[in-house]
Amino acid sequence: MDLFTNLALGFSVAFTPFNLLMAFIGVILGTLIGALPGIGPVSGVALLLPITFGMHPTSGIIMLAALYAGSMYGGTITSVLINTPGESASVVTCIDGYQMALQGRAGPALGMAAIGSFIAGTVGVVFLMGMSPLLARWALSFGPPETFALMLLGLTTVTGLTGDNAVKGYISMVLGLMMSMVGFDIISGDQRYTGGITEMLDGFDFLPVAIGLFGMGEVLAGAESAGRAQILSARYGLRDVLPTAADWMRARWAIVRGSVLGFVIGVLPGAGPTIASFLAYTVEKKLSARPEEFGHGAIEGVAAPESANNAASAGAMVPMLTLGIPGSATTAVMLGGLMMWGIRPGPLLFEKNPDFVWGLIASLYIANVMLVILNIAFIPAFVRALRIPYSILMPLIIVFCITGAYSLNNKVWDVGQMLVFGVVGYAMKKLDYSPAALTLALVLGPLAERSLRQALIISDAGVLILFQRPIAAVLTTLALVAVAVPAARAVRGAMTARNAAAVS
Amino acid sequence: MRAADRTGAAVLLALAVAYTATAAGRYTYWTVTGPGSGFFPFWLGLVLAALSILLLASAVRRPDPGPAWLPTGHGAARFVVVVVVTALFIALLPLLGMALGTAVFLGVLLRMLEGHSWRTTAAVAVGAAVANWAVFVLWLRVPFPVGMLGF
Repeated sequence: MDLFTNLALGFSVAFTPFNLLMAFIGVILGTLIGALPGIGPVSGVALLLPITFGMHPTSGIIMLAALYAGSMYGGTITSVLINTPGESASVVTCIDGYQMALQGRAGPALGMAAIGSFIAGTVGVVFLMGMSPLLARWALSFGPPETFALMLLGLTTVTGLTGDNAVKGYISMVLGLMMSMVGFDIISGDQRYTGGITEMLDGFDFLPVAIGLFGMGEVLAGAESAGRAQILSARYGLRDVLPTAADWMRARWAIVRGSVLGFVIGVLPGAGPTIASFLAYTVEKKLSARPEEFGHGAIEGVAAPESANNAASAGAMVPMLTLGIPGSATTAVMLGGLMMWGIRPGPLLFEKNPDFVWGLIASLYIANVMLVILNIAFIPAFVRALRIPYSILMPLIIVFCITGAYSLNNKVWDVGQMLVFGVVGYAMKKLDYSPAALTLALVLGPLAERSLRQALIISDAGVLILFQRPIAAVLTTLALVAVAVPAARAVRGAMTARNAAAVS
Repeated sequence: MRAADRTGAAVLLALAVAYTATAAGRYTYWTVTGPGSGFFPFWLGLVLAALSILLLASAVRRPDPGPAWLPTGHGAARFVVVVVVTALFIALLPLLGMALGTAVFLGVLLRMLEGHSWRTTAAVAVGAAVANWAVFVLWLRVPFPVGMLGF
């Protein structure tokens, strides 16, 4: 009952002409950003954040969420036609998608991916809608110890799951937390780590750092190599794109499983669409009656990961909106945006800003409808965009990074900061550090510190208060497990390496 | 990569020590009511120190030097050119203004680095500078830096 009133409110917000336009711009830009290699949803959201500052926050989040959903659709096009993922959540789609394209079945591969994405995206929003209010209500009872335990869990799981090197992941996270300490401390009034520089009094601004690490960092990584990819040609008439009945029979359960699995993985803090797509592919291969066809153009191998990444992008919104903890790198940047708009994500969001939350949810339904139409009927237009050489795109993205960083405070200082973090992001990426963990820590740092200090003030047992209350105890334990598992793996890996070295 | 990890770990360790020392020396660790402004940074520095020692240990013990991570030759040259030209653009922003600066910046990269024809270069540079100005100045009302020429 309540749900329907809320949803009606949401659709009344989403169906205003301006918000529809923003959703439309979001899905088009998202599909393009997803399709173009070298720029993914994280940089897309970071680069577009400045544009949203003049808008109402609801219109802003609608555009960014539509962009996020769109990038999940767009990544497929590049994976199938060029055998290069447009963004990381479509890496696994390359395997069978490109094989299908080589066999002349690029059309059905793209069509099935679009339909699977639509079903999964819609299922994801339904789950998001059903689950978020419950989670928000539960989280209302959180005090400082629970909040800190939650931050700890979010930080450790994100860090444990991104990147190949756990130690470097945690180093990135701690660096992010250390950066978030810079500036004015509200509780004591101290100026910390400013080095006497006036510009640092407010601390590191999130936006120049995010644009630098992701946008500029990706451009610099791509700038090293000049070159152009080979695009397979195919026919994209409606008849060529719609999957056959046989394809549909093979892929339907893959789509269902991909949707559910993807959503669950998306909700977990830290594990976003990329991990969901890999898991869905593995599960499908294990369950399939014809596992030998995987890798040689099995349509399930396209349908499952593409469904999973869309459901996961919806799932990743759940912890961001209800707990203020992002479920993926992209939602981490969105969370930073929310805070800049003056919207405090967390349990109270559903009570204080119902038009924001429900407008966003309704817009996601609309965005998915727009996207399935775009990605079935207008594939040739996006393929043409892929022909823009990177040598033209790269300087344009830099201009966008610069204007984006500038428009926050209208200060050239921020632009310089952006470039510095561009070089840092480039080095981090090359050396296996995790820019995503650093960004997340920078966003969550101030709240984590404040909740820990408050928890210690009310505690009569020091840090043990984190284990004295049931919810806090569970969350803290989970966070410790998240640290212990990769640590154990690293120790075991080091021991085998040493044994191998001793033998040889 | 092994050499980079050793250097990286050493730099991080130095940073961690300085960070914790600053927290202990200049900020309050504990006040009468509870943790002060130095409390959290103090521990953060110690955690980073522990992590960088771990990294250092693993990099020292690793038998193979690992793949090189820095680009060489042509790739390195392109990287340096892009960073230097971008830095110059940012430094000259107050002088050139955003609109003219964008066009010049794009012109330099497209023509000198990427070797596009003058026609492509001019079309993209002018088109992007105008579009950029239209979105940010006309629509979003961001006051772009204005150059000596007044635009």
